[in-house]
Amino acid sequence: MKPRERRLPLLLALAGFVWTASARAYPEFQTWIVKNSGRSVNCAMCHAHPDGPDGTGYGQIGRLTSEEMERLNFARRAIEPGAEVQSPILNKFGNLIVSRLGMKKVLELKLDPSQLPDTLDPVSDLDRDGIPDAQELRDGTHPLKKEDGRPWRLFVNNAQRNLSPLLLTAAATAAGLYGLTRLLHGFACAARAERRETEDSGEP
Amino acid sequence: MSLYSAIKRAKDYAAERFPIEKLNFHSMVEKKEVPVHRLSWGYYLGGAALFFLLVQIVTGLMLLFYYQPTVSDAHASVEYISDYVVGGALVRNMHSWSSSMMIACVIAHLLTAFAMKAFEKPREITWLTGVGLLFLTFGFGFTGYLLPWNQIAVNATKIGLQSIEQVGQYLPGQMAQWPRAIRETIQGEAAVGQATLSRFYAIHVIVLPFALAALLGLHLFSVQLHGMSRGVEDPPRRQEKFFPMFLIKDLSVWGVAFFLLFLMALCLPFESFSPYPLFEAFDPNGSTPDGIKPEWYFYFVYYPLELLPFGVILVGSGLAMLMLLLTPWLFRSTSRKTLRILALVGAAYFLGMTLFGEDIYHIFKGGGQ
Repeated sequence: MKPRERRLPLLLALAGFVWTASARAYPEFQTWIVKNSGRSVNCAMCHAHPDGPDGTGYGQIGRLTSEEMERLNFARRAIEPGAEVQSPILNKFGNLIVSRLGMKKVLELKLDPSQLPDTLDPVSDLDRDGIPDAQELRDGTHPLKKEDGRPWRLFVNNAQRNLSPLLLTAAATAAGLYGLTRLLHGFACAARAERRETEDSGEP
Repeated sequence: MSLYSAIKRAKDYAAERFPIEKLNFHSMVEKKEVPVHRLSWGYYLGGAALFFLLVQIVTGLMLLFYYQPTVSDAHASVEYISDYVVGGALVRNMHSWSSSMMIACVIAHLLTAFAMKAFEKPREITWLTGVGLLFLTFGFGFTGYLLPWNQIAVNATKIGLQSIEQVGQYLPGQMAQWPRAIRETIQGEAAVGQATLSRFYAIHVIVLPFALAALLGLHLFSVQLHGMSRGVEDPPRRQEKFFPMFLIKDLSVWGVAFFLLFLMALCLPFESFSPYPLFEAFDPNGSTPDGIKPEWYFYFVYYPLELLPFGVILVGSGLAMLMLLLTPWLFRSTSRKTLRILALVGAAYFLGMTLFGEDIYHIFKGGGQ
């Protein structure tokens, strides 16, 4: 397909997106993440509400105030990258994607969601769990929840980060055990000595 | 049998289980010896379970300072503990990991005690209190699971409570109503809600700890009174003093257990093994995420329940429970070799269902379609 031909459906989709009053969730991304990672995800990976933007719950279109609607419309108009969007229907990660890529690119990526992680900042780590957001997207883990990540990756990152407390705890545990062992040996010796003394003195 | 002879028999029975001449520090600690043989490692499992229980108590008390047992605030308070309280995530993780480790130790302890024939006369009380402690531990797991009030907790609890009610259809007459009454009593209202959370909370932090303290006290007292069972058919190679040698080794196991627990709690969030939608706040109007299931230690009954008719599982579970309670009498004459084989079969079933239950479920479900 030539670039111009490829742009036409994209522009049509974009126009539809900007002008429609209802929200648009992008299940293409969710479907790809689930297929790629084998892990169940929901809209809360990028949206404020787990069931997406449609509805009257927290972070859904039906509950937005006029000020929030303004922010939503600003985000919808952020076609080019670089705009600091704060859409109320998106979470921090969703807003970061739109700010970094722009809506035009996001819609383009709908056609091939597997490219989304490659377009993100490779070092950005919003939840500071040591796993970059792009990797979390591939893994199907939440980029804003530090307790959510592939177990082995989390374990390695956290072990490296907490090496000093771990070593100190190991040393303290070993020292405590050594002290306790000596103390118990001491008690046992004292009890034996007392028994011997009692036996020697002939007391019952 | 006259009343006098019945009382005398009861008195003799009690005297044999609780010998007065052994009720002193010298017999219960100083003189106590522990057999040394190839299954001696089994003697440390009970101590390890006790250690994890103590961790549960300490970390549970810490969590109580911040946890709010209301449907509106429970999940937020748990998130607050993890995200804003200094050391909160570590304490919460320690509580979660130690609960799993305690249950693993209790199950391993039960199987090794069975394999070593530790229920032999006069240790029937030790065995029965141990089985009671196992049920209480599962009770802790079931009630504690609901407290974070997230998707997996509430939905799994609903399934668990429904299973109780299902028992009714297999009971005769008026008894058929009992499971529903039990479910309603535990649930507290028409659906799982505030009353359920309040009741589970009360059971988790008051009822079960008191029951556990009573049973554990009797169990430990009984263990100290009768000492460790011989464990093997042949006379053990040697004996070692309980105080201080065995105690030191036991405490060393506690030290290693503490470090492993600390390592896991600090580096590996307990929730990382399941997808995040399961840990979002429960929303009665929202969609139910995929993958709702109980904690891993219930898989041995959960997956068979998904595959087989409820009645089969009910009869099987009932027989298994009855067998556990009657073990000291049913297996009185069974050799330790046979008991070891039975324990291995039990362990293989538990491990198989825990590790591969989901695969087995998919194999059979796929085959049936």
